[in-house]
Amino acid sequence: MKKQFIKIAFYGLSAIMLVFHTSCTKNYVNPTAATDQQVFSSPQGLTGVAIGLQRTYTASRASSLYNRVNINGLLTSEMIVLNQGNTGEYQLQLGGGSVDGTNTLAAGLWTSSNKIIYDANNVIAGAQNLSDKGYASGLIAYASIFKALAIGDLSMFWQKVPDGVGINVNFIDRIQGYNNAIAVIDNALTAINANAISAAFLANIPAGINIVNTLHALKARFSLFAGSYSQAMTEANAASLSIKSTFNFTTVNLNPIFETVTSTNNVTAAIDTTTLGLPAGLQPDPSDNRLKFYTTSVYNSKVLGFGAGTITPWPVYLPGEMILIKAEAYARQGTPDLTNALAQLNLVVTKTPASDPYGVGANLPALVGPYTQAQLLDQIYKNRCIELYMSGLKLEDMRRFGRPDSEKKRNLLPYPFQERDNNPNTPPDPTF
Amino acid sequence: MRKFQQMGQSKWKNIFFVLILQLCTLIGLAQVRISGKVTGPDGRGIVSISVSVHNTTYGAVTDADGMYAIQANLRPGSYTIDFSGVGFKSRSQSIQIGNATSYTSDVQLAIDALNMDEVILTGVSLGTTRKQLGSYISTVKADQLTKGATSNVLSALQGKTAGAQIIQNNGDPAGGFSVRLRGVNTILSSSEPLYIVDGVVVNNATNRVTNTQSSYDGSTFVGTVGQNRLADINPADIDHIEVLNGAAAAAIYGSRANAGVIQIFTKKGANGAPVVNFSTGIMVNHLRKKLKVNEAPTKFGGPTDGLTAFTQDLITIPPGSPGLLTNTTPVTRYDYQDYIFQTGLGTDNNVSVSGGTDKTKYYVSGSYFYNQGIVKNTDAQRYSFRANIDQTLNKWLSVNLGLNYINNSSNEKPDGNSFFSPMNSVTIIGNFHNIWQRDALGNLQAVGERGRVNPVSVIEDFKQREETNRVIANLGAKLKPMKGLTFDYTLGIDNYAQNGTTYMPPYAYNVNTAFFGGGVSLDPTQNGYASTGNDYFFQINHELNGTYQFNINHDIASITQLGYSAQYEKNRYSLLQGRGMAPFVQTVTGASTLLAPTDDRSEISVSGEYLQQNFKYKNQLFITGAVRRDGSSVFGENERNQVYYKVSGSYLISETKFWKDKVDWWNTFKIRAAYGQSGNLTGIGAYSRFNTYTSNSYLSRTALNSSSTLANTNVKPERQGELEIGTDMSFLKDRLSLTFNWYSKKVTDLLYSRTIAPTTGFSSLLDNLGSLQNKGFEILLTGSPVSKKDFQWDVTLIYNHNRNKVLDVGSALILLSTNAGAPVALLQGYPVGVFYGTFFAVDGNGNQVKNTSGIPQIEKGIQNSALSYTPQRDNNGLPTGTTLRKVIGDPNPKYTATLTNDISYKKFGLHVQLDAVQGVNVFNADFRTRQGVGNGLVAQQEDLGQIPRGYILGVYQIEQWRVDDGSFVKLREVSLSYDLGKFKFFKDLSVSFSGRNLFSWDNYKGYDPEVNSGGQSTILRGIDFGSVPIPRIFKLGIAAKF
Repeated sequence: MKKQFIKIAFYGLSAIMLVFHTSCTKNYVNPTAATDQQVFSSPQGLTGVAIGLQRTYTASRASSLYNRVNINGLLTSEMIVLNQGNTGEYQLQLGGGSVDGTNTLAAGLWTSSNKIIYDANNVIAGAQNLSDKGYASGLIAYASIFKALAIGDLSMFWQKVPDGVGINVNFIDRIQGYNNAIAVIDNALTAINANAISAAFLANIPAGINIVNTLHALKARFSLFAGSYSQAMTEANAASLSIKSTFNFTTVNLNPIFETVTSTNNVTAAIDTTTLGLPAGLQPDPSDNRLKFYTTSVYNSKVLGFGAGTITPWPVYLPGEMILIKAEAYARQGTPDLTNALAQLNLVVTKTPASDPYGVGANLPALVGPYTQAQLLDQIYKNRCIELYMSGLKLEDMRRFGRPDSEKKRNLLPYPFQERDNNPNTPPDPTF
Repeated sequence: MRKFQQMGQSKWKNIFFVLILQLCTLIGLAQVRISGKVTGPDGRGIVSISVSVHNTTYGAVTDADGMYAIQANLRPGSYTIDFSGVGFKSRSQSIQIGNATSYTSDVQLAIDALNMDEVILTGVSLGTTRKQLGSYISTVKADQLTKGATSNVLSALQGKTAGAQIIQNNGDPAGGFSVRLRGVNTILSSSEPLYIVDGVVVNNATNRVTNTQSSYDGSTFVGTVGQNRLADINPADIDHIEVLNGAAAAAIYGSRANAGVIQIFTKKGANGAPVVNFSTGIMVNHLRKKLKVNEAPTKFGGPTDGLTAFTQDLITIPPGSPGLLTNTTPVTRYDYQDYIFQTGLGTDNNVSVSGGTDKTKYYVSGSYFYNQGIVKNTDAQRYSFRANIDQTLNKWLSVNLGLNYINNSSNEKPDGNSFFSPMNSVTIIGNFHNIWQRDALGNLQAVGERGRVNPVSVIEDFKQREETNRVIANLGAKLKPMKGLTFDYTLGIDNYAQNGTTYMPPYAYNVNTAFFGGGVSLDPTQNGYASTGNDYFFQINHELNGTYQFNINHDIASITQLGYSAQYEKNRYSLLQGRGMAPFVQTVTGASTLLAPTDDRSEISVSGEYLQQNFKYKNQLFITGAVRRDGSSVFGENERNQVYYKVSGSYLISETKFWKDKVDWWNTFKIRAAYGQSGNLTGIGAYSRFNTYTSNSYLSRTALNSSSTLANTNVKPERQGELEIGTDMSFLKDRLSLTFNWYSKKVTDLLYSRTIAPTTGFSSLLDNLGSLQNKGFEILLTGSPVSKKDFQWDVTLIYNHNRNKVLDVGSALILLSTNAGAPVALLQGYPVGVFYGTFFAVDGNGNQVKNTSGIPQIEKGIQNSALSYTPQRDNNGLPTGTTLRKVIGDPNPKYTATLTNDISYKKFGLHVQLDAVQGVNVFNADFRTRQGVGNGLVAQQEDLGQIPRGYILGVYQIEQWRVDDGSFVKLREVSLSYDLGKFKFFKDLSVSFSGRNLFSWDNYKGYDPEVNSGGQSTILRGIDFGSVPIPRIFKLGIAAKF
């Protein structure tokens, strides 16, 4: 009997040992992801997050770029829906009360913009702690481009925009939003002026974006939107008209407009190849070369231009935009200078495709004045709509140029339900 | 030499000592043989009845003829022999052991209608009888699983157990099944029960080794589509299944049992000569219901194909046109269903050998199953081998081993959620294209102008295949060191490797890049797709239990149980994929563009211990209490270990002396109540509680992105508390019996990623945020209207009523955006997954508001809150304001029911099972698509001018239009069998003709309301978007015993 008990004890013990052998530890580390601490304590980690900003802004149908171009294009009749099974797009085409807080494109742009601001803040803060100041200024400048674009996108489509990120954030007027975006750019320019961006940093980010030119161009754009005309003019002059600055794509990460619009013939499309959605009187001259650049009648989506191919680069700004900013600034400044305004406008009107780095060129005869300020602004508006077709800027232009509501599907977007339901400071929706 | 002598001396001493000892024992004990035959009410022998000598460890199990034999060392005296087995009332018989060496004890057992004496093994090491249980546990026996012409264990379980809703989510040959025990018990994770096969926790995951395209998220957008791995279990190996519906019954499983437990026990060998069982069957599968298609001779607008093609003419206003086109073009209409569907054939073959001696028992089996799908070029195949061996080493130790190898493979087509699946490639095009037309080079032609995939490419050119190799092994030992004390230990291993491959050759015509085409230019970097996905899974679990049983006095007995369990699992998932395929190369290496690969690795461990105490008073009153503590690695360190309690009691009024003496028509009357708690071990992913940055290659650089979800790093498991009260009754000598269960379950600390304001930098917050409840009742009524020697008629009715309600999810409304367009919502006060969306405007009398053209309108006005709105009308009486939303459908049934009739007359047997699911909605996404593209019947009406032009365009955005009545009554199983009995050299031979899903009585506008395109998803239920309908199956089978 005693022997039996020894045996039992032995078997029992070995069984228990086997049991405990398997699972004592309960702390496992995820090998497929990096923690906040790891990411923000190294230049490589910070660079990765900064590149992540570009990815959020430009990759796929969920990107800010797709949403910005389509929301703007459908609300301003630049574009049209080919299949109303795409509910979010179709709501925008119907406009008015059909666009509500459930709209997937509006919610997508809202969410990715705030995500970009959140992570850009982390990168900019993390970069301050790096000892390599040339690398740090590159990080700050590169991240600031996306932060400024994100704040700018919110300001283009919503009456009031969040004042930063956080819990129950307050809202500020969208013009203040543009000024905040300008402040972000100024901070980046200050960092670059103190320490030039190192070559090492540039080697670590995707090719395509010319950082300094882009900062100036965006500052020019937002200054114009905010009504700071002399600042807009200064910055437009600082942005190169010959150096390209683009969001690039690969056969893995396709141009999102090509991917969802051009190649499918089934989501949205250019409205036509002749009017570009402009009302009578402002419609393009049939011989305007830009029509051929932006549209085609070979297939249903009719989209060419910067959505033409799988990897067609998307310009962050166009030289034509900078020239038209100057034209508009001359025309609108405290004492309007209509002569210089017309001169700048004619630079765009007469521009040949060959002389534009992207091949955008109307190649039309110069306009001959004299024009009143209002007539000239109409011509500037018309040329912005054609030169910057499907760039996502037209809704802001329509408001600035005082276009009637009948030409728009909506003036401003309602706030996404997800924000309204969870942030008590969300402002009331605009009626139109 | 001296040494040798010394050794020799001590050896001899030992032998002498042993001999003396043996002599001493022999004086008291005599080796006796007790044998006999156990028969049923019909006089036939019964197999698998346990026979044991009371208060000793001697015992045996009857063989196929009901014979048993026990070899035992017993002192002369009076003994009791206990007989017990599944389906029969236990009986004891006394026997007097004297000087003889051989004794006979025959017994006849009565049928146990309520299975009160059935031994329940789940959650206890020794087993307990149903009589003692305070909660409802149902048992399904082998013969109930094999009549329904299916070779999937979950399919076979449909309608067999109270409290379960088992849904076949699609009709693919390898299937995809969802099991809900007493409703949905969680939101974030799987609501499938825990599966245990012979003590091994088996994995039932749905792994995405095919349908690997990034659009298939496996989350709340598409759902969880594909085969679930319980498809690997061969029903022919199953002896019986025990189902524990909720925490009250399953509390002993602690953190793993939130969604209930299904425990499967496979067949074991019995004492006696080897028995060979052989069965074979052939199956025929076909489409049960074909949809009518548009037969209008014209379409609106221009041609169907070519450069100026114009499709979707019913809902598209061409750019520049003031309205819908009204000119028409004559067309030829086709019915593509005739092309994509086929009649599928199959075969199911099983052979097993079982037998054994007193000490060694074995069961070995082999099986081959092959079945073609009803969609062309799809099939499923399974090889399965199993060996179960039980060895008694000595009086106090026995060991057992079970080994199961499975090879499961299938030829598939892409899942319905894409427009390159067989069903949706047909649904998304008008039925006016000649899809079979080829050019001079033999190339297929584009279908319309929209870059759709030609169904012929899907059926003939796509290759999608998956294969799983799996081993499930269990090793166990049982020790009985002294009277009343038992230890048992089980080690279980579940290990599989699953591979899936996909090949979509480059298209010769314009296909949307989203469908892996090359667009208009046939871009060679984009055209075509290949992938190979691998999932490697390893799981090991240990269960160690000690049980001590003793009688406190003559009337009161005590059972104490102490247990420890541990589980570790490891998963490795990897995916290679690419597009832009080289001609003829079917592997990813032929891709010109390598798409982002996936490499996921995770580990989880869980362990816990419990103590359970049970008292019984006479055979009448049973009380059990238990406490369990569990820890899981997926939760926050401070909240990881949780304690769960359970208490239950049952009282058999019919066992009291008063009742036994006075009431003879009411044979059993038991009342019971149980309360238990449980948690969910895999409530979140292995690393979900960490806030991390994930990496992606972007433009040849590494991009890091933070998650859209912010996690509370100290998250804890959900906790469920269930109260169950029930009764079991039988009347008229057990001819009629009734079981009734009422339950109320509440899950607190509900895990959810609630939406938060995006201005926080995140879209959702993962935390213990809310609660949900399930309340309901189950009725199980069985009766035998006729019970004669040659004519037996048994009727079973199961009725399940469950009400699910979200009590709190952190915000009033969470509306999900889904791939199928279904507006699935979580709304406080409503069941999980209701449809919340836009609806038809109606007037005071409930009639649709129509405009002057006679087209119904979407309701508009002011949405005051999620559940309150004020409709508005403009001067013309038409809706105006913002679009309004309300709850427009519920995928949770009001009730489910099953009626089964089993009739045996002489050698004939008939089994008929009707399943009903009532008061349920299906979001029929395909219905709208069919009208929009013009192949449906509403489109035909518009084409023929029977409804106004613009009707479909007008109602297209009204989500209520897609909500369909999903109630059905189905003729689920019919089986007609003829048992030849002993025939020539067969011990038994029977033939059967059976059918499955033969008829459905429903008002559903699609193929079959029993469908879910969200697959095994917890939240996405009742969605019909391109799923293959469930086939009608006929099977002719022969079973023989040698």
